[in-house]
Amino acid sequence: MKTMSKMIAVHSYKGGTGKTLLSVNLAAAFAKLGKKVCVIDLDFRAPSLFSILKGGNVECWFNDYLNNTCEAEKVLVDLSSKIPGKGKFFAGFANPATEAIRDMSAKDRKWEMRALGRLLALKGALLADQKFDYVLFVTSPGLQYSSINAIVAADFVVVATTGDRSDVEGTKRMLLELYTLFEKKTGLVLNKVLDSSATAKKAEMSEKVKTVYHVPMLGIVPCFCEILRAEGSLIFVEDKPDHPFTKIVSEMARKIENNEVN
Amino acid sequence: MQNRSGGFAIKDEKLTKKPITVFEKIEESLERLNQKMEVIIEIQKNNSGGNQRPAMTLPDASLDVMTLLSMPDHLRKTAMAICRSDRATAEEIAEQTSRARAVESAYLNQLVIMGYLKKERKGRKAYFYVDRETQG
Repeated sequence: MKTMSKMIAVHSYKGGTGKTLLSVNLAAAFAKLGKKVCVIDLDFRAPSLFSILKGGNVECWFNDYLNNTCEAEKVLVDLSSKIPGKGKFFAGFANPATEAIRDMSAKDRKWEMRALGRLLALKGALLADQKFDYVLFVTSPGLQYSSINAIVAADFVVVATTGDRSDVEGTKRMLLELYTLFEKKTGLVLNKVLDSSATAKKAEMSEKVKTVYHVPMLGIVPCFCEILRAEGSLIFVEDKPDHPFTKIVSEMARKIENNEVN
Repeated sequence: MQNRSGGFAIKDEKLTKKPITVFEKIEESLERLNQKMEVIIEIQKNNSGGNQRPAMTLPDASLDVMTLLSMPDHLRKTAMAICRSDRATAEEIAEQTSRARAVESAYLNQLVIMGYLKKERKGRKAYFYVDRETQG
């Protein structure tokens, strides 16, 4: 039997590829399936989850958990009331204060090694003890310490990429030179696809992804003006249940849940 | 005569039992030999680039992700497996990597020498772990 993907890192080569949007909606889609899920912001250079989910009062930041000054359960904020249904939705936020960003960017490799240990410890603290079904990490783009820590700790990595030439080249190189070294189970999401017929030619696109990136395709997301118009204020899976984007992300969640990414 | 026939009787018994145990012993020895050969081949293969054999344990070095990335493939596989477990024996690591126990044992000890891992004996078993807390 293949191992289930419980810890999922969402990563990309370049910024602005839709990692946070994908992560939040993927988490919401899991919650819709009745799962207990949490999404954690590991993008300490440019935290965005806090403003997207309107975090409110935060007792501890995820920075504090990695600094070993706070336990995992104190970091997680219960946002299940925002999500209808019996699923549970939690979030762990990166501290958006400039001072915190500066502090995180000055960490040395010994600290990063301990941070990896703290991320790995979440398997026991969240998956085993607190019975979470999924833990999703939103990472910084590119080859950052915190992102690579998340990739190493995760069971499955979602890589988001766009049609931008520099993104395609960078993603290809990153998958080949970084991901293969860690032998990570990976699924690629083609985001902001302009060719509207691409989603119809799924099988063909999937083959193309395998030839270009050498990893299986998790999904294709066309470019939706409604997403831009929402300005990050909507969780589509919740607020727009009939939107095609919701359907695409729900299908991704289903594929991960059923271990069908191959 | 009696002695002789008695002798034969014993021999007959030995003939039926012995070959199996002898073969089993040969197989065991061959397996051990094979494992040792694998270790020698692996170590030779990976040392052929230079003669940098560390004579003693280096001071604690951090096993962070960038270090993992810069490691040679054969050691990275072992280091990744140990990173995922709190502490593990060479046998447990071998189960994860699908390589021979003796090979993993050699690599784990190499990582201990390089200062990335700690080793602790409990009875006959040796446990390896990443010491993340006391470093730095």
